[in-house]
This record gives sequence, structure tokens and C-alpha cells, in this order.
Amino acid sequence: MHPVLSKYGQPSRQSRVAIGIVLVKFIKTSIRAAWPILLGLLIGRKNSDNFTQYLLIAVLVFAAFNLIGSIMTFFRFYFSLDESSILIDKGILKRTKINIPFERIQTVNLQQNLLHQMFGVASIEIDTAGANKSELTIDALKKEEAEAIRQFILEEKKQIQSQQDPLSRGLESENESEIEEKTLLQLSFNDLLKIGFSQNHLKSMVLLFAFAFSIINEISSTLGDDLVEEQLSGFEAYFLNSGWAMALGALILVFIISFIYSMISTILVNFELKMSIQGKGFKLFKGLINREEISINTSKVQILSWSDNPVRRLFRMHTIILAQAGSTEANQQHTKIKIPGAYLKQIKQIAWLIFPKPFVRKEQKHRVSKVLMYRIILVAGFIPSLIAAGVGYYFLDAKALFFLLWLPFLIFGTVLYYKKRSYEINDELLKNNKGVFGNHREMVQLYKVQAVKISQSWYQRRKKLANIHLYTAAGAIKIPFITLEKAEALENFVLYKVESNDVNWM
Amino acid sequence: MIFENLTVDTNELPKTSELSFEPLERKYLTVSLLADALFFVPLLIGSACLIFFNDNIATVWTNFVYLCGGILLLWSSAILITYKGFFKKKYALRSRDVIYKKGLFWQSRISIPFNRVQHAEIKQGPIDRMYSLYSLKIYTAGGHSSDLVIPGLAEDKAQGLKEFILKKTAEDAPRIK
Repeated sequence: MHPVLSKYGQPSRQSRVAIGIVLVKFIKTSIRAAWPILLGLLIGRKNSDNFTQYLLIAVLVFAAFNLIGSIMTFFRFYFSLDESSILIDKGILKRTKINIPFERIQTVNLQQNLLHQMFGVASIEIDTAGANKSELTIDALKKEEAEAIRQFILEEKKQIQSQQDPLSRGLESENESEIEEKTLLQLSFNDLLKIGFSQNHLKSMVLLFAFAFSIINEISSTLGDDLVEEQLSGFEAYFLNSGWAMALGALILVFIISFIYSMISTILVNFELKMSIQGKGFKLFKGLINREEISINTSKVQILSWSDNPVRRLFRMHTIILAQAGSTEANQQHTKIKIPGAYLKQIKQIAWLIFPKPFVRKEQKHRVSKVLMYRIILVAGFIPSLIAAGVGYYFLDAKALFFLLWLPFLIFGTVLYYKKRSYEINDELLKNNKGVFGNHREMVQLYKVQAVKISQSWYQRRKKLANIHLYTAAGAIKIPFITLEKAEALENFVLYKVESNDVNWM
Repeated sequence: MIFENLTVDTNELPKTSELSFEPLERKYLTVSLLADALFFVPLLIGSACLIFFNDNIATVWTNFVYLCGGILLLWSSAILITYKGFFKKKYALRSRDVIYKKGLFWQSRISIPFNRVQHAEIKQGPIDRMYSLYSLKIYTAGGHSSDLVIPGLAEDKAQGLKEFILKKTAEDAPRIK
């Protein structure tokens, strides 16, 4: 009998560390839900000693309650394996039994956060691309055992599939011979600095602002607006009085903070990132505090995309994403491989592994219609800026004419977008090229498409133009404003490719 | 040829645009109009009550005309759109895929090959039940953006379509894993 089976054939519990990990999870979520209240209580009546005592007791009771909860959760969580499926039996008040057959499993990923790393354990995440109840997590198992279980599931799954159809047996055995692992991509600390430097700092700025606002909002909703306003009003007056120089200074400060934020988050998430290929499977390790291990079978990749921005282009680096089928949109984050610092040569290498190699080549670029450009300029540029400027001028004063500045900015962006917007097609692949300041490319193998949609607005119908959407199990690829003739040719060709294909697509 | 580098001439391929599509059951138009009414009648009653019972709004006939007239105008345009749109909703089956088209101002045509279908089921809403109509829902993998619903089918038709699609899905399932 397989060693994994003999060990986990009977219902077993997780590693004891799971108690701690579940506890931390509980505390995290409860603090996230309750911190404004606690803070409000603390600030609101910090003078009464009696009250602090009560608060302390409340916190202690709460903690004890959580501890008991986590321990009970731990003792009521069993999992077991047999030759064809994994079974989980859990729950204190509401007991659930989940049985997932191996052939339905899409991915088995290992994760380690700081606590996991300290105790040498890992959590296993199992995802199926099906509908409900598709995600399953075992919080803590010894690292080696977690790896053995994952290996076991993947091997058994392969075996089950080859038993189901003898055709593919030959293919499988061929793979066994080349199981040596090959590194495709590795990020040094130097690379991380480059990536952090070329990150979209505006995005981090927006994130930080959103975070700050949500905190202010939370606090003011529990403390009452007056207190916050009192605290902030002085601030505002200070800003107004000190004029432009101060405002500029503040802006620079915010920028520096966002810069540091994106730098640190980049390093934490992608620390010691390494991507390798073994047989037909990609493997990705990354992260400092949260150590992640993701594996994707090459044939399961639905869309390969890569993009750059003006700064990252200086380093000749791209962000590359390998997307595979996920059960929900939210889950797709977990099943994606995302690497922020890949060179073109490495992207090509990865593309060769995913797609039939001779078809990964440059093809004639088909442009989208110029009408798209005019449309965007009219609908997003002329109309809103004229209305805003007109209304503003009428009701306020001449300063409203600044709204007109939106127009040249938008025209500039739209022209750039139009120049980059194109697609390439050959017998196997479709490549979508887009981007405004940066470049974004998407590549999909045609037989992986699972639905084709052609859409036309009344306006497009008059100009004999159409949009085409190619839906895959990991998202859609859209080409807007091409001639109806071309859209229909693409539609019929893609359907022909899908329907005449016999290979599993996910 | 439109795309010169392809080994297949796309003009030689079967064309989805030249298919003969089947319309939905006529009763479904009534169902859609009822659904419209179910939205607008409470709105109408609510706004009438608002004018009648709210002391800040004068209970004069002009107010009724403005508010209820506006709603009636919206309702009648909704009826027009529902009516015209009904005749645009059509479906077709081929030996290897199912196609559904719809839309009055924004028209679309979606095609799902049977070998990419995960699951199919028939459903019935409360108004559907009154007219013994069913809708057929076709699921694809990963997310719901490419799922397809064909509404307004008679029971035998819906059942037949579902069985046909599931049979085809099993037959066309990929053989090479």
C-alpha cells in the first residue's frame, strides 16, 4: 500500500499547530470586525478605571472563547484519503462532510504564512473548477507530509485519468522520462528592487487613500463625526493657510510613502521567487511572510498574458500572468501564476511550453476600426468635458473651463490606445495587443475557447462593425470594433477549431 | 480570403449567421409583459400613495399627472422594447453547438460548443409556472460570464433540448486528457 494511504487511510486530524493557526485566523477576523468599537471605547472613556477593568475582562473572555472554539474546531476536523478521493468531516454546530474525487480537483497548492514557517507546517488548498463547495483547506500539516499528500493526489489523479482512457497512456509514460526540474525564472534581490521601483505607485497611492478613508470612516461612525471633525478641522485650516508650498510638500510626502509601500509589498510578496518546470507542470515558489507554492499543469493554462509600463520598459521587464480555470472569479486570484519581472526571452520560453511551439510567432497585425477612436473621444471626451465646462461656467465661474483640459489628455491617451490596439491570429493561437502607456498582450490557444459571442450596438450595425468575445474558463478575450465580416470569420473559425478538437482543455 | 495565413478558408466553414433560428414560445411574450407590469404597477401605486399621504406634497391632480404620467411613459416604452425585443430572441441547434441571439439596440449572438458544456438544467420561475414555460440554463466552466439561458420554452421542448445537449456533451467530451 502507498505510504500516504497507510497513514491517512483512517480519518486523521491536522498537526496540532492548526489550533494556533485557527486561533490567529479567529482573532484576525474578530479584530478586523471589532477594532473600531474597542478603539472607540478606549478613547471615549479612558478616565474611568472601572471601565478599563471591564474592558479587560471582556477581552479576556473573548480570547478564552476563541481559544476554546479553535480547539474544538481542531478536534472536530478529520480528513482521510483513499485511492480516488479525499474526504473531510468537520464542524462543531453544523457538521459537514465533503468528498472530492481526485479527477475533479483542479489544483493543489501549499501555503505557509509566518506562523506556518515558524513551526515547519504548511496549509493545503484544494480547488475544483466546479460550482459550489469547491474550495477546501487543511490548515496545518507537517511540510513534508503536506508535500507527500499533494504528490499522492496528483499521481492518483493522473492514473485515474489514464485508466479512463487508454489513448493517453502512451503520452503519460513519455512524460515520466523527463521529470528533472528546470528553472525557468528566478528573481534576485536586485531584480526585486527594479520591480518595486517600476511598480504602479499611483495604484498604491489610491490603495493607501482608500485605506485611510475607510479607517476615518470607521472611526467616525463609532465615535461620532464631531470628534473626528474636531481633530481634522485644524489640519484643514493649516493646509489652507500654508498655501501651495505646503500642498506640494504634502503631495511629495504622499508619493514617497506610496513608493515605500509598493517597494516593501513587492519585496514581501515576491521574495525569492522561483519558477520552474518539471515534466508538464509549472511550479512557483514565492513570498517572505507568506510563503506560497503554486503548481499549474502546462495544458491547464487558459490565457497567457504579459504587460509592461513605461518605467518597467527601461529595465526590459514584464509582468506575466498564467491564468487557469478557477471555480469563481475571486478564486482565480489563487490559481493564477503572476510574476512581475520576466524578460522577453523567458516569456517566449514559457509560451513554448504552453502552446505548440511553431505557432508562437509573429503574425500580421489586424487593426481595429478607427471608428473606435472617434467613438471614445466623442463619448468619453467631448461630451462630458463640454457639459462639465458649460454647466460649471454657467453656475460657477471661469475656473470651470479647466474641465476642457480633460479633452486633449483623453485624445492623447485614445490615440496611443488606438495605435497599439490590434490582434494576430494563426491556425492555433490568437494574440491580443493593447495598452495605453504600457503594452498588454494576451495569448490564447483557440481550442480552449468555450463560448464565442458577437455583439453589435445599433451604431456599430450601421457601420457594419462588431465586437467579438472569446470566453475561456479563466476569463474572456475581447476584440472591439472590427468589421462584421472579420468578426464572423473569426467566430466560425474558432468554433470550427473547438468543435474539431479532441484534447482536454482544462 | 479574409485571414490569409490560416490553412482553412473561413468562407468554406458553416456560418452561424446563415442559420435558420427558432423563435421562443409566443406565451413568453405575455410572461415578459407581466414581469414588466409586476415592476411598474407597485411603483405606480407607491407614487400615488406618496402624493396622497405625504403632507409636504400637495394632493393636486397636476402632481399625479407629472409623477404617474412619467412612470406610465416609462412603462409604455418598456412594453414597446419588450415587445420588439421578443422577436429578436431566437435559438438554433447545430450538430456540435447551440446558438442564442437576442437584443434590440445591442444585439448579440453567443455560441457554445457541446464539448465545452459543463452542465445543463431546466428552470421555472413563478410567472413561468402559470404559463407552463421553462428556461434552459447551460453552464460552462469557471465563472458565470459565458453561461447561457434560453427562456420561454415549452416543457417537452426544454426537456428535449436538455437531454439532447447532455447526450451531445457526453459524446463530444474530449478523449485525450
